[in-house]
Amino acid sequence: MKNEYRPYTLIAELTYRCPLRCPYCSNPLGYAGHGNELDTDTWLRVFQEAEALGVVQLNLTGGEPLLRDDLERLIERASRLELYTNLITSGIPLTFERLSRFATLGLNCVQVSVQSSRSTESDRIAGAPSFHRKLEVMQWVASLELPLTLNVVLHRGNIGEIAELIALAERVSADRLELANAQYLGWALKNRAALLPTREQVETARTIAADARERLRGTMEVLFVTPDYYSVHPKSCMDGWGRRFIVVNPEGLALPCHLAHTLPGLRFDNVTKRHLAAIWHHSDGFNQFRGDGWLPDACRSCDRHSKDFGGCRCQAFHVTGNAGATDPACSLSPDHGHIESARSQASHLAGVPILFDYRTGRGFSQA
Amino acid sequence: MERRVGRDGDQAMKDDQHRAPLSKEAFVEWLTREGSTRYHDHHPFHKLMHEGNLTKVQLQQWVLNRYYYQTRIPIKDALIVSKSEDPSFRRTWLHRIQDHDGQQEGEGGLTSWLELARGVGLDVEEVRSLRSVLPGVRLACDGYVQFVRDSSLLEAVASSLTELFAPTLMSHRIEAWKHHYPWVSSDALGYFQMRIACASLDSKQAVEFVVQHALTYELQERCVRALIKKAEILWHLLDCLHMTNRMTGDISRPQLSPKVRLRFDRRTGRYLLLYPETGLELSRTATEIARLCTGEWTVDDIAQYLAQIHTEISPGEIMRDVRDFLKTLAGRGLLQGFK
Repeated sequence: MKNEYRPYTLIAELTYRCPLRCPYCSNPLGYAGHGNELDTDTWLRVFQEAEALGVVQLNLTGGEPLLRDDLERLIERASRLELYTNLITSGIPLTFERLSRFATLGLNCVQVSVQSSRSTESDRIAGAPSFHRKLEVMQWVASLELPLTLNVVLHRGNIGEIAELIALAERVSADRLELANAQYLGWALKNRAALLPTREQVETARTIAADARERLRGTMEVLFVTPDYYSVHPKSCMDGWGRRFIVVNPEGLALPCHLAHTLPGLRFDNVTKRHLAAIWHHSDGFNQFRGDGWLPDACRSCDRHSKDFGGCRCQAFHVTGNAGATDPACSLSPDHGHIESARSQASHLAGVPILFDYRTGRGFSQA
Repeated sequence: MERRVGRDGDQAMKDDQHRAPLSKEAFVEWLTREGSTRYHDHHPFHKLMHEGNLTKVQLQQWVLNRYYYQTRIPIKDALIVSKSEDPSFRRTWLHRIQDHDGQQEGEGGLTSWLELARGVGLDVEEVRSLRSVLPGVRLACDGYVQFVRDSSLLEAVASSLTELFAPTLMSHRIEAWKHHYPWVSSDALGYFQMRIACASLDSKQAVEFVVQHALTYELQERCVRALIKKAEILWHLLDCLHMTNRMTGDISRPQLSPKVRLRFDRRTGRYLLLYPETGLELSRTATEIARLCTGEWTVDDIAQYLAQIHTEISPGEIMRDVRDFLKTLAGRGLLQGFK
């Protein structure tokens, strides 16, 4: 039986390899033990199956997608399928020639992330010298007239730089600025004490971002993603489980979000074994948290569940141990105490120097 | 009390009853002065046309509406012929009808005008049917015929004297069209070419007639007024076109940002407007608007074009839809050249 859901976006995690080591990396913690990456032909087939299923947006991401030497072929096919293709990258390693090739082959836009507006701090957080190269890459993007999204993951250490970050985005003629507070999952959860900002920091940053949003309306889109630890209601994570997004991870697991396979007891299928449409419509994992049949009581009785779909399943699991619980970020969750305690810890630790556990694993040379 | 040259009302006319007529030269000079300053070559619409600033649709609109005027000319001339007791005058004037209607099917000025219509990409039958003529244009042209019907032979002839200024305008127009609208074949411009010669001859004959017959100051003044009336009718015709062009009063030329991609969505049968991270599903009208955001069409052109193809929707509603949709796009940074 086909369901009513249509995926609009395919997030293709081409690799977990990355030359950077950001302490809030959204890749799973145990990635070093993962198997082989999908080959080119499989990705090409996945794109085709995704397009047939209704996908119109393609995010090429990782890890660092530039480490795939078949990126040209992937972009070319995506373009032929009329997928709106977005390269999400640190910009390393890249040459102007390669980026021009991508543009010629039909790449639609580029998202580059910086870790801070200051080079030494950016390099410190990234765990590798990278800031100056990123600036150069952003200039290349602009010179090729590709739309540029500048992405910054916000945390205690850089949230105070919000005005400088906006100025940086204007300087590099970004089309879009994503000021996204870290999601406290995976590496970021491990480093939460070092990363979670205080409420005052968040409020100040939000006000500055809102002003810039108004001032730059029509020129640059300024997006400020509040940390859900400081919002009253949870985020509608991925716009709801299995509603609009498919993530295919480097080994070929098709997932509702990039960490769904870290939840225990869920079964997900691999694109090497099953057609994407069959996975989307029929796999147990995708159907597990679709609709409202699974909702816990706290959500079922709340009329917001049609907006936030019960929040983030991964956060529910990683904080409460139960993936089917109400997202603890919700003030109505019986487990909200965990979030409150993290907030008071953040306020207590304000001003204390931060030490990260850097992301480690294969795929980069350790300095 | 200072004597004023009356231009309105019988009283003023009576005051001038005993004023001596102007010399032939002074009378022609007066006619030329009043006519040339009011002639429609000064109209902003003609300026836009001759500077290459009309879109294809606007040019088509002009050709289509002006055809109604062309169809009134032989009728007006037949009325003039019917007013004369002089066989020689009638013979001369009948040429004008033949110039427009031709000696036989497929000849004459009206046919040439339909060639022009074809040349600018219009459906000739649509033009010939006169069904899409703007109401104001119809009113202006009918007003001219009515004026000729009601006035004396002398005034009716005098009202044709706008032709004094036509040859210059026609030459200018041919140059401008060749330069700015090269997509119109030069064959289609035959009408303008023909008028250069005809209008010189016709206006010469008409001037002679007027000079011979306007033997009092009062009659001379009536001739000047008839000419002014006619110039105003031509002016009004362009006003109507110009107003339609300005449905929204907005002549900015929006262009979709390079980051936008339009793609057909097989699943919904609609178009999607895609941009980084997301997209919009477009209604049929929104798709039409988006496709016209090329940087060449003004907001007015877009509204006008949609009004033409969606006669079931009121122009006001179309105007609102266009503005709203463009604002939505601009607010998301998806549009250039539009505030």
